[in-house]
Amino acid sequence: MIRLFKTKRGLLSLLAFATIWFIILYYFVSSAAGIVNSQSFERMAADLFGALGLSSLLQWPVAEYAIYWLVAVYFFPIFALSVCSDQICSDRQRGTLRFLTLRSTRTEIIFGRYLGQLFIVAVLILMTSVATAILASMRDLSLLPASLQLGAKLSFEVIIVVMPFIALMTLLNTWVHSARLAIVAAVLFFSLGPLVTAFINYQFGHEFYLNLLFPGEQIESILSQRGDVTSQYWLPLTQTLVLLFTSNLVMKRASL
Amino acid sequence: MSLIIDVKQLSKHYGDKVALTGVEFSLEKGAPVALVGPNGAGKTTLFSLLCGYIRPSSGTINVLDHAPGSAALFGRLSALPQDAQLDPRFSIATQLNFYARLQGMSSKRAKHDTARVLEMVALSDASNSQPSELSHGMRKRATIAQALLGSPEIVMLDEATAGLDPANAKEIRAIVSEQACDVNFILSSHDLSELERLCDQVLYLEAGQLKQHKAANVNGNTRYITLRMKQDYPEIIATILQLQGVSQVTMTQDKEYLLTVINGQNKTSIEMDLLVLLQQNNWFYAQLINGKTLENQLF
Repeated sequence: MIRLFKTKRGLLSLLAFATIWFIILYYFVSSAAGIVNSQSFERMAADLFGALGLSSLLQWPVAEYAIYWLVAVYFFPIFALSVCSDQICSDRQRGTLRFLTLRSTRTEIIFGRYLGQLFIVAVLILMTSVATAILASMRDLSLLPASLQLGAKLSFEVIIVVMPFIALMTLLNTWVHSARLAIVAAVLFFSLGPLVTAFINYQFGHEFYLNLLFPGEQIESILSQRGDVTSQYWLPLTQTLVLLFTSNLVMKRASL
Repeated sequence: MSLIIDVKQLSKHYGDKVALTGVEFSLEKGAPVALVGPNGAGKTTLFSLLCGYIRPSSGTINVLDHAPGSAALFGRLSALPQDAQLDPRFSIATQLNFYARLQGMSSKRAKHDTARVLEMVALSDASNSQPSELSHGMRKRATIAQALLGSPEIVMLDEATAGLDPANAKEIRAIVSEQACDVNFILSSHDLSELERLCDQVLYLEAGQLKQHKAANVNGNTRYITLRMKQDYPEIIATILQLQGVSQVTMTQDKEYLLTVINGQNKTSIEMDLLVLLQQNNWFYAQLINGKTLENQLF
């Protein structure tokens, strides 16, 4: 938190985040109700959302959250990859980690840094959710209770979604020596990974379910929010545990 | 005397390159220990192994009866690793306070201890400065301060005075001397005169092997006196050899002579005889050292 609010780099990241979300909230989310509820767009929106399998979102009492959900569920994982790209690598490169390991275990450092990053991202998710609730209440104050209830549920869902993304950056941080390299490695993982998976499946002739290795694999199935999807929680939570466990193993054997 | 460090058959390889091989020594509580050796001898590797930053390829290390990196050593072993830097984004007081809290101190005690160690390294006025605002020497002193937090039993300083001006280097040496009664220091430096002043034991590494492990200036049947003169005197060797008890005089370097004295013969008066001889000949000496200099012992 200190790094985010008390350092120049942290404040710049926060400013960029606030600007992006101001644009999203002002231009997309605040006009959501108008688009969804207007006669002229109602049919088109229903067709569009229906085609995407998202028609259940149109039935939400607070239309703003339909747009918020669609943006947040894709934005925050990408944002987490960027903002959590430097969990330990710069400390390691600088030698600061050597001071820390004389006072705390490597496991504590890995889990401590992970939880710290998760906390920061969770706070930012909650802030955007509250901002959406305020926008909806400004349109119709009677929507406030429903907004808060829906906002809390969706914030929780988004936090679950981002957890393995942050854990992936924890793992990459144990291998690479800079935040930039960690981001490059993550981009390669998400761009080349599916190709490699498809090639393995094709080469051996049957499904190995390697796609389950990729954080965010469940996003498409939970997007419509039509009810509980089996993989909604267990997949990201399992991925998070596996990634953190692997990070801990790598870190324990790493040379500092 | 209890062992503070016990190393057995320690080896470390980086791929095909051998950094340390078959290193074996044990250190007891007591005066500071010097870790000496040429560049690339494996000093920093040994430091890193003792601190648990890297794992040995083979062999065992026991530090205060625990494996390096063990949680049981937190607060008991501290170090200044070579080239390690504090985070440039936070003030040095903030970081030292954080380290003190990690060592288990209360908030109030951590604050007090941070002020104490910063005062020791003469950085009280810069406590709220970020490392990026400080000079190289000040940053170094700040990292030395972190090694002194709490009450460590072992403090390892790798090239602690490298890059410091003479006044600050002297200050650091004074800190080591003052604390040496309570803390076991292990120092690595290229400044042999500095190590000579501070350390009683020497670990000499060369090409990854421990060549010498002994208490400085402890010899067998003979003892040594090192004499440094202010000028060159051509007949000085022959003249000193006439003194009773001096069996050999060798010129170790320009204006420096090593006298070999046979134990038991005029043991107490040889220095007096030597000084009288110098005065009679009107020769000016710069320094008289009981024993060999560390430089002469090692090289």
